[in-house]
Amino acid sequence: MDQAAVTALLQTLVQGLLTGGLYALIGTGLSLIFGVMNIINFAHGDFLAIGMFITLALFRTFHLDPYLSLLVAAPAGFALGFVIQRLVLSRLGDRLNEGSILATLGLGLIISNTLLLTFGAQPQSINVPYATSTFQLGGVQVSIPLLIAGLGTVAAIVGLNLLLYRTELGRAIRATAQNPLGAELQGVKTGHIQAIVFGLGVAFAAIAGVLLMPLLYAFPTVGENYTTKAFIVTVLGGLGNLPGAVVGGLVLGVIESLGAFYISNNYRDAYGLIAFLLVLLLRPEGLFGRTVKRV
Amino acid sequence: MFRFTPSSLTPSKSTPSSPRQSRSRRGRTLAALALLATGSLALADTIQVGAITSLSGRFATFGRMQQAGFRVALDEINARGGVNGNRLELLLEDDASDTNKALNAAERLVNRKVPVVIGAYSSGITKPLSQYLARVKVPLIVATAIDETITKPGNPYTFRVNNQSSVYTRSLIDQLRKLGGMKTAVILTSNDAFGKSVLNDAASLLPRAGFTVLAQDTYDKGLTDFRPLLNRYRGQNPDVVILASYEEDAVALTKQVKEVGLSPKVIAGIATGFALPDFLKGAGTAAENYLVTMVWNPDVQYPGARSLYTRLKKALNGEEPSQHAAQSYAAMLAAADAIQRGGTDPEKVRAALMQTRLSTAFGPVNFRTYGGYQNQNSVVGLITQVQNGQFVTVGPATAARGKIVFPRK
Repeated sequence: MDQAAVTALLQTLVQGLLTGGLYALIGTGLSLIFGVMNIINFAHGDFLAIGMFITLALFRTFHLDPYLSLLVAAPAGFALGFVIQRLVLSRLGDRLNEGSILATLGLGLIISNTLLLTFGAQPQSINVPYATSTFQLGGVQVSIPLLIAGLGTVAAIVGLNLLLYRTELGRAIRATAQNPLGAELQGVKTGHIQAIVFGLGVAFAAIAGVLLMPLLYAFPTVGENYTTKAFIVTVLGGLGNLPGAVVGGLVLGVIESLGAFYISNNYRDAYGLIAFLLVLLLRPEGLFGRTVKRV
Repeated sequence: MFRFTPSSLTPSKSTPSSPRQSRSRRGRTLAALALLATGSLALADTIQVGAITSLSGRFATFGRMQQAGFRVALDEINARGGVNGNRLELLLEDDASDTNKALNAAERLVNRKVPVVIGAYSSGITKPLSQYLARVKVPLIVATAIDETITKPGNPYTFRVNNQSSVYTRSLIDQLRKLGGMKTAVILTSNDAFGKSVLNDAASLLPRAGFTVLAQDTYDKGLTDFRPLLNRYRGQNPDVVILASYEEDAVALTKQVKEVGLSPKVIAGIATGFALPDFLKGAGTAAENYLVTMVWNPDVQYPGARSLYTRLKKALNGEEPSQHAAQSYAAMLAAADAIQRGGTDPEKVRAALMQTRLSTAFGPVNFRTYGGYQNQNSVVGLITQVQNGQFVTVGPATAARGKIVFPRK
């Protein structure tokens, strides 16, 4: 391989890792929710869309820098998730397992159609001066927004870990995940904890949406694709396993990028699904299932 | 169904409809008075023309452009006395960017006995639409779609105002050859009727012009990460990159081309998404010095082009019009002209369309059968370049308003 080809490959790897970081962020939210509440949130990608449209609206109205939108989108996402768990999911009672599928699918439809009514169907993007700025690292061009997205992912995941392992709330969350009844008997208000967890998961999706906005365009159904990605990431890493979700995200990002680079662009989504099927066949518990303790 | 009723064309609000009338304020008032008179007295009956475009869905931006073009043409036609003394009215159907909905809409229009249909926006929708309308023997005027196979072999009921895609690619490749000193190219297009048509044209025309095609790829709708592909191109170091995409894909591609450091001597976009004013806004400085092929730009030298630009912009509430609006304007004029000469029987309108000899602010409209194409209008293919955030016509020499920046900076 000549120099140019090596650089191109390295660049693809770096971009694949950074994109994978975003997948990890989305997957972490989904995995957290599954780990504690034992449900799959099928509206996860739609919460990401909400994050994107909040950024878009703030930029259009106040010319707010997209990254500053995090200050709005993350709390808004948390509040939304908290309220939804309280008003919808907590009422499913014994039928949480089956009911949550329909409930979250329905929520997703409501969200995407509300976005459609409010913002219209056409794809919309924002143009910030630094959207295409890059820096060189030994011939490899690294996109600054993509790097910020990667760093944002690291910060969010480190923050989540600090919360889970260094605080009383984190202890309560982990207790709820391990044994809800036991936790309840120890005085943990598990309903409250579940609402917080759902809020955190939604906030993670919204943060990912904000970080994506300078790189990508928003349209009401943008989330669909990301729900699938988050699901693949979560299964790759092991359901409910947070470090697994991070590794799963990175693996998916790199597999997709290398596949598109070496084989063909057109089967991009297939590479992830093939990896997904292989993991299900060979290690149904996920890459990290059971080898690392569940949250 | 959307309908432009006479009330939406209130004379007092309508813009002066020909450049001559806009000369003075008094002239304008007189025109308005004349319009009032003709509008309420002479234009007793209405003739309805059908149109189908994408007012919602992924092609909605283009649909809005088409709608503006129709509206401006209708205003102009009715202001100068309608068609044979009848007011021209438009039955506008939304296909929601979906082929089946377009076909349903066509059926509704046919049931309402429209003499001619204009539409649709995209090639993928227009092709089946043209086949359906040929079956029920109603002429279709295609304003915007550029897929080759719509008019080659085509059918006797389909007439196309826009150039076919090979004209866009050929005019670009002619320009590339004139610039000289370039040997290699890569082509990336969307994976649909329009994109594949451009891909085939470019892949066959480039080698004949002395270029080696290093890569030709298509991407599926919804792909937002072009980086791996663009990285591969960067490794191949081509002289020319040719792109064809719809709307926001064009913006995403342009941003990522810059991001990955792909820097060929020429980057060219074949019309469509790249020809939209929104492309300039969305891609910002990343779009600078891109070549974009189109058939109409506000700086073209056809008589009345400037006035058309102003009227289209007004119909779009101040938004910049694209070539799609001008094409739709011309298609509506062609429809009115054919009804004027042939009456409202579809078969006679079809016969009249074949004899069309119009010169409009969009350019000439003249449906000919040549080189395997049937009822195909031929417009000069313009090469524009993004300079300081504006499309400036830089080729061909006879139409150029500015100098090309080469190689791109």
